[in-house]
Amino acid sequence: MSQEHIRNFSIIAHIDHGKSTLADRMLQLTQTVSDREMHAQLLDSMDLERERGVTIKASAVRMKYLAKDGQLYVLNLIDTPGHVDFSYEVSRALQACEGAILVVDASQGVEAQTLANLYLALEQDLELLPVINKIDLPAARPKDIAKELEDLLGVSADGMIPISAKQGTGIQDVLEAIIKQVPPPKGDANAPLRALVFDSHYDSYKGVIAYVRVFEGRLQKRDILRLIATDAKFEPVEIGVFSPDMRAVNTLEVGEVGYIATGFKTVRECRVGDTITLATNGASEPLPGYKQVKSMVFAGFYPTNNDDYPDLRDALEKLQLNDASLIYEPETSQALNFGFRVGFLGLFHMEIVQERLEREYDLDILATAPSVEYQVVKTNGELVTIDSPAQLPDESVISEIREPWMKIQIYTPQEFIGPIMDLAIKKHAEYETTEYLDTQRVILHYRIPLSEVIVDFFDRLKSASKGYASLDYQFDGYRTGDLVKLDILVNNEPVDALAIIVHRDDAYHKGQKLISKLKDLIPRQQFVVPIQAATGKRVISRANVKALRKDVLAKCYGGDITRKKKLLEKQKKGKKRMKMIGSVEVPQEAFMALLSLDDD
Amino acid sequence: MTFIQGFQSLYLHIPFCKTKCTYCAFNAYANMDTLVNDFVDALVREVEIVGRSRPGQQLHTIYFGGGTPSLLSPGQFERLLSTIHALFNVKSGSEISLEANPNDLDAPYLTALRQLGFNRLSIGMQSAHQNELRLFARRHDNDAVARAVSAARRAGFANLNLDLIYGFPHQTMTTWKASLVQMMALQPDHVSLYALGVEEGTPLERWIARGELPEPDDDLAADMYDLATDILGQGGFEQYEISNWAKPGYECRHNLQYWRNLPYPGVGPGAHGWAGGVRYSTILAPQKYIQALKSSVGDYVYPRTPATVEALEVDRPGEIVDTLLMGLRLTREGIQRAAFRERFGEDVVTLYPALMNRFSAQGLLRIDADTVRLTTEGRLLSNMIFRELV
Ligand SMILES: Nc1nc2c(ncn2[C@@H]2O[C@H](COP(=O)(O)OP(=O)(O)OP(=O)(O)O)[C@@H](O)[C@H]2O)c(=O)[nH]1
Ligand code: SF4
Ligand SMILES: [Mg+2]
Repeated sequence: MSQEHIRNFSIIAHIDHGKSTLADRMLQLTQTVSDREMHAQLLDSMDLERERGVTIKASAVRMKYLAKDGQLYVLNLIDTPGHVDFSYEVSRALQACEGAILVVDASQGVEAQTLANLYLALEQDLELLPVINKIDLPAARPKDIAKELEDLLGVSADGMIPISAKQGTGIQDVLEAIIKQVPPPKGDANAPLRALVFDSHYDSYKGVIAYVRVFEGRLQKRDILRLIATDAKFEPVEIGVFSPDMRAVNTLEVGEVGYIATGFKTVRECRVGDTITLATNGASEPLPGYKQVKSMVFAGFYPTNNDDYPDLRDALEKLQLNDASLIYEPETSQALNFGFRVGFLGLFHMEIVQERLEREYDLDILATAPSVEYQVVKTNGELVTIDSPAQLPDESVISEIREPWMKIQIYTPQEFIGPIMDLAIKKHAEYETTEYLDTQRVILHYRIPLSEVIVDFFDRLKSASKGYASLDYQFDGYRTGDLVKLDILVNNEPVDALAIIVHRDDAYHKGQKLISKLKDLIPRQQFVVPIQAATGKRVISRANVKALRKDVLAKCYGGDITRKKKLLEKQKKGKKRMKMIGSVEVPQEAFMALLSLDDD
Repeated sequence: MTFIQGFQSLYLHIPFCKTKCTYCAFNAYANMDTLVNDFVDALVREVEIVGRSRPGQQLHTIYFGGGTPSLLSPGQFERLLSTIHALFNVKSGSEISLEANPNDLDAPYLTALRQLGFNRLSIGMQSAHQNELRLFARRHDNDAVARAVSAARRAGFANLNLDLIYGFPHQTMTTWKASLVQMMALQPDHVSLYALGVEEGTPLERWIARGELPEPDDDLAADMYDLATDILGQGGFEQYEISNWAKPGYECRHNLQYWRNLPYPGVGPGAHGWAGGVRYSTILAPQKYIQALKSSVGDYVYPRTPATVEALEVDRPGEIVDTLLMGLRLTREGIQRAAFRERFGEDVVTLYPALMNRFSAQGLLRIDADTVRLTTEGRLLSNMIFRELV
């Protein structure tokens, strides 16, 4: 296929605006997937994605399309996630494309990630195709939305295609627009091969599978290849395209998107962002790779069973192949033994990583409370960065603690401004300005400590706005804060993994709440377990978990031991999810208790 | 098929009750009186299948449990017992027990039972307070228990058990103590005390879920248990199992069979049995049970009867776990290390070195040269041990 007949594009949008559904219709219209095999959000192939109805991973698929001009085109589509925590997936996908379809929900209009993703596409100089989706909805306002977009993009509202991805209206118009407006790839077919690794995953038979976009040259099945950054050489086990399942081919031409099964059994050699070239007479300069993203949130991940530590390390390595935003390093905790400090783009990301590790690698993991990255200036002038409360130096050598602040934008219908402002005040946010999107909707600009955003800000924003508000944020800078470490003592021993850093003003209130939560969460043990919250030597709050006195099953009738064993086994499973800290069993929920302190 | 030699214990399940108690999750049904005759026919058939499969099998205990077995007539027991005697080798002096509702125990009935060979009665007293009995929807009142006990003594029953329940909503230490004292005044030979379990699907569970009754308080239940242990001890009873006390020599031999993990064929709907290396259970619904035994043709060899629904071969590790789970309930006898070694070829302590160490350090188990058993503290926390063993 000549480059003239290739189009590479991503579908981007705010969460739930219909990207994956639009991809479904394209797969059907191009007969990439038969009607019989079709099911909703087909590209959301992970169980987790299906259960939650959310795209987590970008997925690439190749389609063949016979256009109205009578010519056959190859379309490489990349469906992307809309959730803010997965924007790194979007930016990497965009780098493999020449164009992007910006989907906007006709009833909701422009939301926070509509703009955020739009800017990502513009940064890459991509051709943008705005599409207005869900026009079948009774509340759809396609005209108003088109106007909104016109103001934002400076392109005429006339070119915006109204569609219903659900009902399949307007899909062909979108495909035709892609052919006409998205430029074909322009790489030099005769230059030495340069293919960008934009994603990967691990396959136990074929090793590391690299997802590539060929920018220059061509790739053949028998070629001996080299990764430029790691200088690792290999003969591919297989090369192929996604259609949408992996299908082997003999060549990948310039401009195409596909995969290379590298055969690497370890994950070190092949990194997302690296460039693949030929081992002999290859290119020497890599393509511009990716900026590593900065993690926002950090938490300790520990195997509930200490013996699973090597498995957890293995699982993190492999998962990182499929989640390039994931970073981690070994960490030891007095309470939890050996584990890892893991960095995430947000709380949802953290939740997803934990679930993927547990499901895909069959592990039981205990996650500690999420923390941001603090800067500590010591009395000797030294600056240290810490991403865990346990790393905080002794109070006596701290001169100041700085915490990250964010710029945030809250998109909301006007009627919720009041409750949102109340929330912002509670969370120590500083008001900046209000911008009017149209007559009904505004963007509120604030600055806020990141630590407040990661706790429960998003959930509370949703409830303050009946689900209508959306949120985007960017790093602003570090500021000195009046911060203290809140230690939690279980059975008179401080538990490093339960410590948190809080604003001094909140310490008392949070300490009290935390203790009353922990008192309910920590199951009774054979003995009384005192729990305390303290800052420095000062105990703020204390409570006792009463001793367990009775743990027997009721009458077992007629010698029915089978039922009894089943009950015991069920209880045992529940216990497995707890971590022994000293002689006390502590459940996962205890570590997450601080996320829901303001519930009532 | 392997036969375990020696004496066995036969359990017969009688699934009928006049009314259903509010806490009850046993396989028991009210308002099925019309089925009783057919049921006895079916039960006789099942006993025959078991007996014919193992000619000459020795029995040393026979136990009619329920449900409310005292709803059967002397004539019906006669049929069942004569079938048993015809097909099994019932050792002389065997323990033959009946679970009974006090209301059913009048003098003629008791005399008839004695004549049929019954020598042990287990009477469901549950509480000495009218309002508590009403909460349970028990059909007897407190006087009925006293009347039944004295009538049973007059009829010649020398071995009487009384059941009490504790740890239920609105029960207080005061009412519990009164129940215990009144029960002791009736001078039973054996006492069973059951902590109330709130079972799924019972009215009691619904009431608690709807907030109409308070949840049982485990701490209070533990205090009640301690009080009972004191009172019974002072009254000359010896505890021999987590929930059971007896005057010396009056331990329930049938239940000991379970706790020692020795074989017991179980028959009747919803019965459990263990014999021939197989653990099994039978059809729950009386109607279906009757049907199965009526329509069945072909040769069944026990432990499979037409009523069997689940049958599980128990391998050696399984048998070891069962032996521990049951045996550790025996507070006095515990696990006899020599007997265990003889049965399984290994010492119980060296079989679970880490766990045994831990439990004894935690004060839950006492390990002597001859025995492994629960400590006083371990009695109410036994699940902490059992959970690790399954
Ligand atoms: N009425 C209507 N609903 C639609 C349309 N397109 C998508 N939806 C629904 O909107 C919801 C979200 O659709 P998805 O395709 O999963 O949205 P997405 O943009 O891929 O979501 P994320 O990947 O999680 O960001 C689903 O319930 C779809 O059925 C449409 O044209 N009309
Ligand atoms: S008498 Fe026993 S079996 Fe019958 S309903 Fe009451 S508790 Fe259940
Ligand atoms: Mg999607």
